Amino acid sequence: MMQEIFEYTTLCLLATTLLCLYRAIVGPEPWDRAIAINVVGTKTIIIVVLIGYLFDSLYFVDVAIVYALFNFILTVALSKQIEFGGL
Amino acid sequence: MGEKEVESLVARTISRIMIPFIQLFGIYVIVHGETSPGGGFQGGVILGTSMILYGIVYGLSKAKKRVSKKHLIILISLGVLIYSGIGLMDMLSGGKYLQYDSLPLPVDAHETTALSILGVELGIGLTVMSATIILFIYLAGERIGAGMDNW
Repeated sequence: MMQEIFEYTTLCLLATTLLCLYRAIVGPEPWDRAIAINVVGTKTIIIVVLIGYLFDSLYFVDVAIVYALFNFILTVALSKQIEFGGL
Repeated sequence: MGEKEVESLVARTISRIMIPFIQLFGIYVIVHGETSPGGGFQGGVILGTSMILYGIVYGLSKAKKRVSKKHLIILISLGVLIYSGIGLMDMLSGGKYLQYDSLPLPVDAHETTALSILGVELGIGLTVMSATIILFIYLAGERIGAGMDNW
């Protein structure tokens, strides 16, 4: 039961990630792109944890933590790049 | 083009809280190298990333005050020295290069292997951490015109 729920959740998240990807490519303003990239990263964290449950492996949680970390740093660096045009 | 510093209180506070946990997680990844994903290289990159975050948020000149170029270069060399030193000690005690269980430690073979792998991972982590920080400061300083001269 939980297996199917998590499988379909993963598929739905993948489908909505494509929408965010569309916004990141088309987005008229840089801030749209920054937020879209941030949302894609957050969805990726959840997908990685769900895949970890499906494969019955705890190691995916480590990967998800590292991904969250680098997503945070990416967002800070991207915002600084957009606002100041450099480091 | 001068140097910029993030003024947002949120970014500064969150970074100040996050940086110790990032370093703790990097050490966790290095120490659990043989039983979990990651290892010396990945943990070293995570450790270096904490300093990169500090440099991005607090500005490059404060990051240059935190770490000194001389110590970073010494750490790079020390990591390579630890790695090759363990390999050469294995050769001196009768095994092949990096044949972990040939070290004459007073514990059994499995523990000798685990301790040697831990030492090798620590060496790789030191080298990668220092190289990441030094590369970031070189590249970022080149962009804003604050070169390596006054570091």
